[in-house]
Amino acid sequence: MLRKKSINRFEKLQYFSLVLPGLILFTIGLIVPMLLSFGYSLTDWNGLAPTFSYIGLENYRRFFSDTFATQAWNFTIKFTIWNTIIQNILALLFAVVLNSAIKGEEIYRTILFVPCLFSAIIVGFVWLRMFSNVLPALNSLLGTDINFLLFGSAKTVLTGLLIANNWQWIGYWMLIYLAALQSIPNELYESAAIDGTTTLQKFRHITLPLLAPALTICIVGITTGSLKMYELLVTSTGGGPGRASTSIVYHIYNTAISGRQYGYGSAVTVLFVFILLLVALLQLSVLRKREVQL
Amino acid sequence: MKNVSKSFIFILLVVFLCSTTIFGAPQKTTVSILAGISTTDDGIQDIITAAVAKKYPEISLQWEIHEWSDNFHPRMQQYIQTGLPDIIIGKAQDVATYGGQGLLAGLNGKSYLDNILDAAVPGVTIDGEIYGMVYNCLYQGVYYNRKMFTENGLEVPATHAELADVIRKLRAQGITPFATHMVDTWSIGNVVMQFAINDVFAQTPDWGDRFRAGKVSFATSPEYKKCYEYMKLLYDNTWTRETFSLPQIDCDTRMVLGQAAMKVSGSWSIQNFLTIDEDYDFGIFPFPNQSGDAKLIFEPNMTFMKSATTKNSAAVDKVFAVITGDKEAAVEFYNLSRTASMLKGVSPTFPNPSQKDIDKYAAEGKLIDANLGNNQLQWGGFQDENAKDIASWLQEMITLDEALKAADSRRANSKP
Repeated sequence: MLRKKSINRFEKLQYFSLVLPGLILFTIGLIVPMLLSFGYSLTDWNGLAPTFSYIGLENYRRFFSDTFATQAWNFTIKFTIWNTIIQNILALLFAVVLNSAIKGEEIYRTILFVPCLFSAIIVGFVWLRMFSNVLPALNSLLGTDINFLLFGSAKTVLTGLLIANNWQWIGYWMLIYLAALQSIPNELYESAAIDGTTTLQKFRHITLPLLAPALTICIVGITTGSLKMYELLVTSTGGGPGRASTSIVYHIYNTAISGRQYGYGSAVTVLFVFILLLVALLQLSVLRKREVQL
Repeated sequence: MKNVSKSFIFILLVVFLCSTTIFGAPQKTTVSILAGISTTDDGIQDIITAAVAKKYPEISLQWEIHEWSDNFHPRMQQYIQTGLPDIIIGKAQDVATYGGQGLLAGLNGKSYLDNILDAAVPGVTIDGEIYGMVYNCLYQGVYYNRKMFTENGLEVPATHAELADVIRKLRAQGITPFATHMVDTWSIGNVVMQFAINDVFAQTPDWGDRFRAGKVSFATSPEYKKCYEYMKLLYDNTWTRETFSLPQIDCDTRMVLGQAAMKVSGSWSIQNFLTIDEDYDFGIFPFPNQSGDAKLIFEPNMTFMKSATTKNSAAVDKVFAVITGDKEAAVEFYNLSRTASMLKGVSPTFPNPSQKDIDKYAAEGKLIDANLGNNQLQWGGFQDENAKDIASWLQEMITLDEALKAADSRRANSKP
């Protein structure tokens, strides 16, 4: 009995020693900065001065009356909703098509996947050039007058960013859906075929329920990624025209760093992390209920 | 025997390596440099490194270079916490920001300051102490296509009525009056400050201090409102549909190719102009102000500063002495960046078609320092945020009054 206890303790020690490096990095890289950030959010520090004053929850109160923060949130929410819908539908659609044993499936898969290997900084730069130079040149070739300058107007900048972001990430989520589709046993479809079900019925009653885990991963991943959008904006629109495409992370960076309002920027960051967690937990709890296990 | 030989060879190797470390290469002093530069200044690091290596081979320079308008200030914020580099290269207006925090070393009494033009000193002096060395300067105003003006019988406008006439005649010929690239919000901020220098700060040099004291505001200042309206004038007389999508290089290319007649800009455009067409003939004039006495703006640009906590003070002084004393290196840099010299007895040799206009305004005493405005209203968090509001107004997302009031709401953040 004593020997069993000491073996268990030894095993636990082994597991702990394996987890420890990751835990240390997690604490240093995430927990400590978060705590420091919360501390700074209670001050009026500008990021430069050697001294600052404690102002309590004033920065948090200010956030709720900050029209620029509200504007940034509105843009981020709109972008997130549209991005989540479009990316999920198109990624699933492409996965279903690629799963149907079409010719050249590997080439299409590569073409769709490669853009996600680029940095968002490069993607932003490329699509700025596409919208301002390459695509408008088509008008001269075709004799048309299509407005390709999507980044140049507050009314169309969201559309332009959705195109750029979806171009980059659809392939990545498509692979997740493809792997999930390929893990569904064929016998289920064969049985359904014998029972005389249509393709749409098979998709609704077999494919979708068994895709639920993949749906959970993709929806949560796309939502949190969209909420954190920043790099794409740096090289494409710069948050403009005006503030038309300023995301909440872009606003935080501008406020805390360029604007030298480190305390207020930290408060917005803390609120943002809290909202991210809330959104992720909410999605997980709703989506997990729908998951079906074979 | 074999073991003894192996041990002997091993010991010899260890002794050799140790002696190389201790007695080998001479000890070098590494001077760290954080440089916030414009794209036109790229290349300064190679020129200065070569010049310093020639005179002081025992000094090595470790460069970290950032775009001044993007990453320089965030990096400064980080280094303020962890320890500043020995040398900081920024703009003259940074002296007000960082010198005021006690982060920079005073340079009073240093012999290399004698190499700097007297006009460059006031803008980098706080309470009698000099905190920076201005190396070059830019000229800001309206760059115009001289040939296009001549062919269309246009005169350089000195008043708004004359400018309106020039715009009307250009439009009648199907020529876009102004080249702009408003996708770069910094260009909106820069242009509005150009207007403000001649319309606001030339009349009230302490307008920024009065603004912070609550005595004046953007919303109630007819002069500042006019500056915003000049921006609308440019927007209505440019490639309106494209300006918020057009990068600077494309804008300058169109200007050189004759698709626009004028551009409110600075010397940073000269490098693009002459790269696209080395024979491009252009001039410069100040954007007319309300009182008809607008002056050409010169902006002290690349400024060298020394950290107050550097442990290599003597080495930094040597580097500064080389930078201000090596005339060949200075001319090489001015020709590369197409900027004007702030060193005594040193002039660039690149052909600058606008130089005769600059000389004319200088001879007439019609030059004004950009820091008159930049030292009153800080760039980061104020001027750049105001520029975004102006862009929002031009895109009809907010009204002019809302844009002006938004500037007032940032009062606490306006001090450099």
